[in-house]
Amino acid sequence: MPLTFSEYLVQLTESVTNEDGPTLAYLLRPTSPHGKDLVKEFRNPTRKSLSYYEGGIESPWDEIAIQYVLVVHHVAKKRAGEAFKEHTQLVSLFFRFFTSNSGWTLPALFAILRDLRDLAFDVKYTVHVPPSCDADLQANNNKSENMEEAARIISKAFGNCVTDRSSPLAESRKWGIYYVVGLVLKTYFRVKRISLAKPILRALRANTDIPPLSAYPRSHQVTYRYYVGMLHFLDEDYAQAEQELTLAFYNCHIEAHSNQERILTYLIPLRMLRGHLPSRELMGRFPALDDLYAPFIRAIRRGDIKTYDEALDKWERRLVELNLYLNLEKARELCIRGLFRRVWVVSQKGSRIPVSMFHSSLRLSGIEVPQEEAECLVANMIYKGFMRGYISHEKQMVVLAKTDAFPRLADRPSPFAL
Amino acid sequence: MSSEASTSKPAADTLAQNPEPSKDDESQPHLGVLEEDDEFEEFAVADWDDSQTDLAHLGGAAPGAAKSGGDKLWEDNWDDDDVEDDFSVQLRGELTKTGKGGDSMQQ
Repeated sequence: MPLTFSEYLVQLTESVTNEDGPTLAYLLRPTSPHGKDLVKEFRNPTRKSLSYYEGGIESPWDEIAIQYVLVVHHVAKKRAGEAFKEHTQLVSLFFRFFTSNSGWTLPALFAILRDLRDLAFDVKYTVHVPPSCDADLQANNNKSENMEEAARIISKAFGNCVTDRSSPLAESRKWGIYYVVGLVLKTYFRVKRISLAKPILRALRANTDIPPLSAYPRSHQVTYRYYVGMLHFLDEDYAQAEQELTLAFYNCHIEAHSNQERILTYLIPLRMLRGHLPSRELMGRFPALDDLYAPFIRAIRRGDIKTYDEALDKWERRLVELNLYLNLEKARELCIRGLFRRVWVVSQKGSRIPVSMFHSSLRLSGIEVPQEEAECLVANMIYKGFMRGYISHEKQMVVLAKTDAFPRLADRPSPFAL
Repeated sequence: MSSEASTSKPAADTLAQNPEPSKDDESQPHLGVLEEDDEFEEFAVADWDDSQTDLAHLGGAAPGAAKSGGDKLWEDNWDDDDVEDDFSVQLRGELTKTGKGGDSMQQ
C-alpha cells in the first residue's frame, strides 16, 4: 500500500518521539520505497504549494518533510543539480535539530550526509559550456565544485558533533566525529582535491576532548585510518602510512574483501620495503594483488633483477595510475641486494670478493654496465645498509663484515629512507 | 542514486587513463577491483569483533610484526642459501673463470 504524505508525517513524528535513529534515517533517504509514493502524490511540488503543510508537525520536521518531497521529486525527474540543492536545505534544517539533541540522531545524520555526497557526485552540468571548451573537462570541474560544496557541509556536521558538551558520554554526538571525518576525506579523495582534506584533520587534532579512536565502531576506525594512511602515503611519509594501513587492514571485516584489497594494494609495497613479504596464504586470498605483486616478490626473493625489471615494465601504467610506481622502483634495491647476496653465498660467504664478481652477476642478469658502475652500485648498497663492509678501490676488492654481512631486510633501522 | 555514484565513470577520466593504446588493457592483465574508478566502500555493518578480522590470525601479537613476531601473513626470514639453481651455477662458473675470486686472493 502506498504511503501518503500525511502518513509520512506521522511516521516522521513517531520516529522523533521514540528517538529511533535508524527509522528516521530510513524515512529521510530518497532511495527508500516511500519516496516513490510521494513522487506520485505530488505531481509538480514547489515549496510554495507545499507550504500548506508548514506547522502541521513540530518544527523543523515540517520543513524537512517538505524538502524531502522536493528532493525525491527532482531525483525522479533525474534533475541531480536541483535534487542536490534541495537536499542541502534538508541537511541544514536537520542540523538545527541535531545541534540541540543527543547522539540518537547519528544514524540519520550519517544517512543524509552520505546521500548529500552521492547527489553531489551525480550532478553533471550541461549548461553554459562554450563550444570552444572541453565539455568533459567542464563537467568534471563542476563535479568537483559540487563535491567540495558537499564536503564543506559535511565538515559543518563535524563541528556540530564536536561541540556536544551536554549529552552523557554514551549518547554524545561525539560518536559521530570519525564517521563524518571519514566521509569528508572520502569526498575530497573522490574528486582528487586531496590537499583540501587537511584542515579537518588539523581541527580533529586540535580537539583533545574526544574519545579515543579505538572506542569507536570499527567501520569508522577502518575508513578513517585508510584515508589518513593514504594521505601519509601521498605525502611520502611512509612510516606513518604503513602504521595506519596496518591497523586499517587488521581491524577491517574479513568479508569486506574489496576494502581489504584496497588497503593491501598500498600496504604490501610498504611492507616489502621493510623486508616483510606477504605469505602465500595472504596472497591466495587476493588473486588480483597476487597477479600484480607476485613477480616482484619472486624476483626479490631470488635477486632476479631481470624479472623485476620486466614486471616493472609490464605494470608501469597501472602502477603510475595507483601512484605506486616510485615505490616499486625503490624496492628494486631489495632485488639488487638479493643478487649481491647470492654472489656472496656462491663465494662461500667469504669476506673478500672482487668487484669483478659483482660486475659479472649484473652481466649475467642482462645488465651491461662498466665495472665502475658495478663498484658504484656496491658502494650504494653499503651506504644504504644493505651490505656491511667497505671497498678497496685500488685492489678492486669488496671487503665484507665477518658477521652479518647482509643484514636481514627486516632489521634495517630506517627502511623508508632515501 | 548511490549505485550510480559508484559505477558512473566520467568520460574525461577514461580518456586520461588510456592515453596510449599500446599499453592498453590487452597487454595489462586484469586487476580486479583496482581497475574500476571506485573507492573505499561503505561497510555493511557498523561494528564487529576481533574474530571477524585478521587480528584473529595474530594469536595476541600486535599488528605490524611478521612471522618471527607471530604474524604468519608476512614473512621476514626468506633469505635462502640455495646454490643449486641455474643462476648460481652460472655465477660459480664466473667465479672459477676469474680463478682468483674470494679469499684465495689473500694468499
